[in-house]
Amino acid sequence: MNLEDELRAALRREDPSSGFAQRVVARTKVTPRSNRPIFRMAWAAAIAAMVIVGLAGVYQYRQVQAERAGRDAVIALRIAADKLNIARDKVSRREN
Amino acid sequence: MLTQSIAAIPKVITDDPERFEELVREHQAMVFSMACRYLRNRALAEEIAQDVFLQLYRKLPSLESQDHVVHWLRWVTAHRLIDHSRHEKRRPQSPLEEAPEPAVPANSGDPLLSDMLRDLVAALPENARVVMILRYQEDLDPMDIAQALDMPIATVKSHLQRSLALLRDKLSRQKGVGL
Repeated sequence: MNLEDELRAALRREDPSSGFAQRVVARTKVTPRSNRPIFRMAWAAAIAAMVIVGLAGVYQYRQVQAERAGRDAVIALRIAADKLNIARDKVSRREN
Repeated sequence: MLTQSIAAIPKVITDDPERFEELVREHQAMVFSMACRYLRNRALAEEIAQDVFLQLYRKLPSLESQDHVVHWLRWVTAHRLIDHSRHEKRRPQSPLEEAPEPAVPANSGDPLLSDMLRDLVAALPENARVVMILRYQEDLDPMDIAQALDMPIATVKSHLQRSLALLRDKLSRQKGVGL
């Protein structure tokens, strides 16, 4: 008697109960195959679209902020220029 | 011939339930027996085997050949079984002797000895158990087992040697069987 032969005999393959394959197939019909390439591509596209929309939003927000800052800077310069003109007029009036 | 017909185009099978069923039938004995020998519980083995084939159904479009399918099934089944037993260790278990086991037709050897060997194999540590099942159920050589389990070949050989020594020792102690 050889242990390895006995192990081969003891561990030989056996079939599951009848109808096993049909039960597996029945379960595939109720289980969505989310790993199919088409689903994976759809998920990737959706995520890419969300990232693009997010980046566009951030870019837009920064553009608006920059334009507002630019307008504020122009107004500040105009006010400063007006004040300088007033001061210059006062100085020239005193000298005269 | 079934093997030839599905060997070349596994990607088509996922859209054809009948051909997928043929594929399951072709490999069900391998997956189920691995689970059954590992767990010594037919109901649980069938549940895990079904889960493995469902996973195969989802994975099939990316598998390239029949050999790839077989390799993938062995790998997933082995790891699924190891994960299951590690998870089960955290829960109280019923003794091994209470696990239901059907009467297996004895086509060779002593049925009592075979039953004892199945019990002893099922009581081995997880990795050693899977290695023994792949060696003596699937008849893989140590190199193939190492590839199937992504394990160094020296570790595979060590598991085999230790497990065989352990089984010889336990058999001689329990029943006075010298093998």
